[in-house]
Amino acid sequence: MPDDWTTRINTGVPNPARIYDYFLGGKDNFPADREVAEQVVAIAPVALDIVEDNRAFLRRVVRFLAGEAGIRQFVDLGSGLPTQGNVHEIAQATAPDARVVYVDNDAMVVTHSRALLAGRNTVAIEADLRDPDSVMEHPEVRQLIDFDQPIALLLLAILHFVPDDEDPFGVVARFRDALPAGSYLAISHGTRDIPARTDMSPEAMAEMGAKVERLYQLTTASLVTRTRARVERFFDGFDLLDPGLVEIQLWRPDESEPLLPGGFYGGVGRKR
Amino acid sequence: MTALDNSGGMADCVAIPLPGELMTEGRTAPAGPTVQRMLVGAKLRRLRTEMGLSREEAGEAIRASEWKIHRLENGQVGFKERDIIDLLRLYQVTDPTEVAEFVSLAREANTPGWWQHYGDVLPQWFRTYVDLESAAALIRTYEGQFIPGLLQTDAYMRAVVQGAHLDESAEELGRRVRLRMARQQLLTREQPPRVWAVIDEAALRRPVGGREVMAGQLERLIEATKLPNVTLQVLPFEVGAHAAMLGAFSILRFADRELPDVVYLEHLTNAVYLDKRDEAERYLDVMESICDESEPPARTVELLEKLLDEV
Repeated sequence: MPDDWTTRINTGVPNPARIYDYFLGGKDNFPADREVAEQVVAIAPVALDIVEDNRAFLRRVVRFLAGEAGIRQFVDLGSGLPTQGNVHEIAQATAPDARVVYVDNDAMVVTHSRALLAGRNTVAIEADLRDPDSVMEHPEVRQLIDFDQPIALLLLAILHFVPDDEDPFGVVARFRDALPAGSYLAISHGTRDIPARTDMSPEAMAEMGAKVERLYQLTTASLVTRTRARVERFFDGFDLLDPGLVEIQLWRPDESEPLLPGGFYGGVGRKR
Repeated sequence: MTALDNSGGMADCVAIPLPGELMTEGRTAPAGPTVQRMLVGAKLRRLRTEMGLSREEAGEAIRASEWKIHRLENGQVGFKERDIIDLLRLYQVTDPTEVAEFVSLAREANTPGWWQHYGDVLPQWFRTYVDLESAAALIRTYEGQFIPGLLQTDAYMRAVVQGAHLDESAEELGRRVRLRMARQQLLTREQPPRVWAVIDEAALRRPVGGREVMAGQLERLIEATKLPNVTLQVLPFEVGAHAAMLGAFSILRFADRELPDVVYLEHLTNAVYLDKRDEAERYLDVMESICDESEPPARTVELLEKLLDEV
């Protein structure tokens, strides 16, 4: 069979969602993905810990939002391939009536999400977060989500795939303006900032970051790390909850989890 | 021994008397010997490569050939306890607890799977499938001609068997159906596997067994979509040419990270199992493509109801 049978899903080109799946020990990745992923791990072995830490961050954030914050509507932008402990599973464990929309622009991610995640009070749609209206006006979103009630917008490990020339700050602001007061924004974002506890020099850190970013240029979405101040700008119009924008490992950690901070910033804000 | 197709088919249907208590088997999630052997083999391979040893060098330690190591690591043969202990020593695994766990895993790998109760009912090559299927966490399947076996009704299955002119008695046919039903129990057991099936429109339109049987089968499919662990997608005619036109296949995925996906292809008189990553991934690629081209799962019931009206 010729290779060009596959049109929308091209397994021959490295893909960030499948690379992430590889980091998490999943099996939905292909040689092209693994080639890049293995190079990333060779340069930054910590990548494997960071993706696990990001999953743990997601768990804690969603548990907080569904529990203490009382949120019943979640929109997960750039949701990625289904794995263990997906947003609706975490949210509905706390609040069985929680409604969840998974949004991704990747055909394989959407196919898997529709097959494996969608169900009662949960839908998966194909849309590009860089076009907020296409998400918010999507009929399935309109059917499930009430824009007069508080909504939690999850942007985890995704905004670092939106370069500045695609106006990531404008995109987040557009979503913000459509959310009612009392809604929440959760973000995690890759950074080259020096972790609090490391023996790496700023030069070594910068070099590592640059190398990883170069590798991601081979994929379908390039990676743009940002500084703390830049990531904080996404929260314009939101009040950051304690402990603020911190390394994800430090955001309300479970006691059982070891604290080796670094790699990603994370925070949760409440719309004024 | 004969078969048309696993999922459509008759491989699990070779007529030999069945003991009656078998219908209760297979409700829990047994790993089954094939998978246990693959798991032990995969662990041995990892340990050996971590030590930088060749298969030949490992073979010497257990007075065996490179080929024997190859077969052990691929889970193709059972394990002798002494071999396991000698290999672990060579791989510098000396913690007694770790060694004991390994030996116990290898021992489990030598015990028979639930289907062994069926004696000679199953052709050997299909036993492996039943074993793998009952251990899988995710079963992805594409069917072009049949309704997948795990979702067939009794009557549909009888009609398929009759259509194949196997020339057998009513009693034999009855036994086949019972065995199929035993396999189907995995859908509703505790911790069932996720089944994600793509069914070609052709399989849904061919009135196997006549209108009544086909209507019953379509209703069964509609019921199946209500199971939380079953996803059905219809691959419509309007898609035209697609990546899976060569025919039916299944991909079995196991929860254990060390176990590779296994692709199952069935022929009339035997079956092929592909677990080499590059081969299995060609099929995974095809599966991704047809899942994307098929109607989304949320439309399946509507499509099945339309077909039901047209039967």
